[in-house]
Amino acid sequence: MRFFFAAQMAWQGVVINPLRSGLTVLGVAIGVASVVSLMGIGEGARLAVVKQFESLGSNVIVIKAHDAKAEFMPEEAEELLERVSGLKYASPVVRTNAVMRWRRARGQVEIIGVSSDFPELRDHRLVSGRFFTKWHVEQRSPVAVLGYNIGAGLLGGRSPVGQTLTLNGQTYRIVGVLEKKGPGQAEGIDDKVVIPYTTALKIAGKKTVDELWVKAESAKAADLAIAQLGRIYRRKLGFDATAPKPGDGEQQQMPGKEGAEKPVETLPAPQPEDQSKEEKPALELGKDIITITNLNTLVEEADKANRVMTLLLGGIAAVSLLVGGLGIMNIMLVAVTERTAEIGVRRALGAKKFDLLLQFLMEAFYLSGMGAATGTALGIWGVNLFNRYGFNAVISAEAVRVAVFVALGCGLIFGVYPAWTAASVPPVEALRR
Amino acid sequence: MELLELKGISKEYRSGKGAVKALSDINLSVKRGEFVSIMGPSGSGKSTLLNVIGCLDRPSAGEYFLDGMKVDRVSDDKLSEIRNRYIGFVFQNFHLLQGLDALGNVELPLIYRGIGSAERKRRAKEALDAVGLSDRIHHRPSELSGGEQQRVAIARALVQEPLLVLADEPTGSLDSRTGRAIMELFQKLNTERGITVVMVTHDRDMARYGRRIVRLLDGRIKEEEFIG
Repeated sequence: MRFFFAAQMAWQGVVINPLRSGLTVLGVAIGVASVVSLMGIGEGARLAVVKQFESLGSNVIVIKAHDAKAEFMPEEAEELLERVSGLKYASPVVRTNAVMRWRRARGQVEIIGVSSDFPELRDHRLVSGRFFTKWHVEQRSPVAVLGYNIGAGLLGGRSPVGQTLTLNGQTYRIVGVLEKKGPGQAEGIDDKVVIPYTTALKIAGKKTVDELWVKAESAKAADLAIAQLGRIYRRKLGFDATAPKPGDGEQQQMPGKEGAEKPVETLPAPQPEDQSKEEKPALELGKDIITITNLNTLVEEADKANRVMTLLLGGIAAVSLLVGGLGIMNIMLVAVTERTAEIGVRRALGAKKFDLLLQFLMEAFYLSGMGAATGTALGIWGVNLFNRYGFNAVISAEAVRVAVFVALGCGLIFGVYPAWTAASVPPVEALRR
Repeated sequence: MELLELKGISKEYRSGKGAVKALSDINLSVKRGEFVSIMGPSGSGKSTLLNVIGCLDRPSAGEYFLDGMKVDRVSDDKLSEIRNRYIGFVFQNFHLLQGLDALGNVELPLIYRGIGSAERKRRAKEALDAVGLSDRIHHRPSELSGGEQQRVAIARALVQEPLLVLADEPTGSLDSRTGRAIMELFQKLNTERGITVVMVTHDRDMARYGRRIVRLLDGRIKEEEFIG
């Protein structure tokens, strides 16, 4: 009963001075809105990066040679499946370009040559047709699987499976079209043509590949596989696998921007006194020759970095929220001073200290509550606005929760002191004004 | 039967260098249904006395019985309750809440008594009717004349059905004709409803509406005069 009336009278206090209440609410609202929208931007950026990495497939390890002399035989991919435990799929990767011809149209396309493990390895599904098989790879068959954009463009949406196109003048049969991954996802696979690596090597005029992909059964298996792969390639380059020299081995580096590969296991060139010097004299000293990268850790690192960014943005916004809270305190203190006579009258008519405490506290609570509601709406609107200008902001439920909670908390905490002041005014004093 | 009984009441204020004695050794009793005017020059302690009687202020020394209860040493919350149940206030500046209309202002004491909305409104309308303002219940104080505002204030005191109405210069902000009308209202409430009225004024003509005049000087009762 008492609570209900205090709530009612507090509401009167809010509406009696609409301009002042409005400005106070605006102060809180701006704070809440900035928390919601800035954290939304941060969170959006984080999710975008995570999604980009995830589109590369989970538990994937990339082995890359940075020197022509260290390149791999394509068959090595298959061998790794047997030599390293916990690996499920493997594929050499050949990247090249070709002139594609479809009916009367022609143009340059990016080619990626892989094994038949590719769909499982990189979590690709097909919208039509099937992926090429192991047999196709062995036979160096002229078959192609098209990225979504290319596949959908050929026949205006109808499936081109079964049709033929030419790459550098040779005829290829289209056997499948990959599912859409989205712009910038999975290394832009949507605009590429996927063919067997054996066929791709022919186009590229090469016998070796500079990249191998393997996929582990689990995140844990990937971690173990990394160590095993490190030993294998260290030995291959002529290091003693069992007793690596100091400075040889695993150096952790921070990930670069834009999905750069992070060398988890970096193998530098052998030292001059090394016996391998004679065998591979062309290797440049002191440069990374082979990098073995666990994409999982890349995702984690990027995620961590972006979380820090989100927190930073949120922190900046929180300051404005705090200022909004101080605005409530300020306004409530002014209200108490200005309304001393009112307090006196209420006391004379029988209001207890608690009644006044409750009334002024509720008033502060209303202001912060309306600020929180307006701010959330403004923040959501802001997020949409940012997105219209190319941001990938998201409305994070966590940000909304935190902002609303902090705003209400500010209202209550900053409302207590003025409310207590109001309740403590002796009625005689108050009536004298 | 004595409604008010003040025995040796003193009130000191600590201000700046020393204590200021606003009331010293006041002995006063008021019977139920009396109409008492308190007069005196400014600074004589009449408002302080009214505040003590109204339980808005505590005496520094002495005993105060209100309707037989000893109220000089009770808690702050208890004083609020006593004010709410027994005492209606009418001030010189009306002290109406500007944000509320007449009805809302009159309802206020009943809110603090915890009475439900419908009952509150009914009683508030009744009280406004009794002071002749039944056509003004939804007017805000700023839309009412001084006399009307004071009537709203009186209705606010009446709605409590108090034993005692305390009026502090109730006509001080009104012209003499309106002032007389207000005084007649007090007189009517006193005679018809038997409400005890204690009024502070420095206006001799207004004071004569009461049946007893208590004169204060320097915080002491100088003389009492009974009007025939």
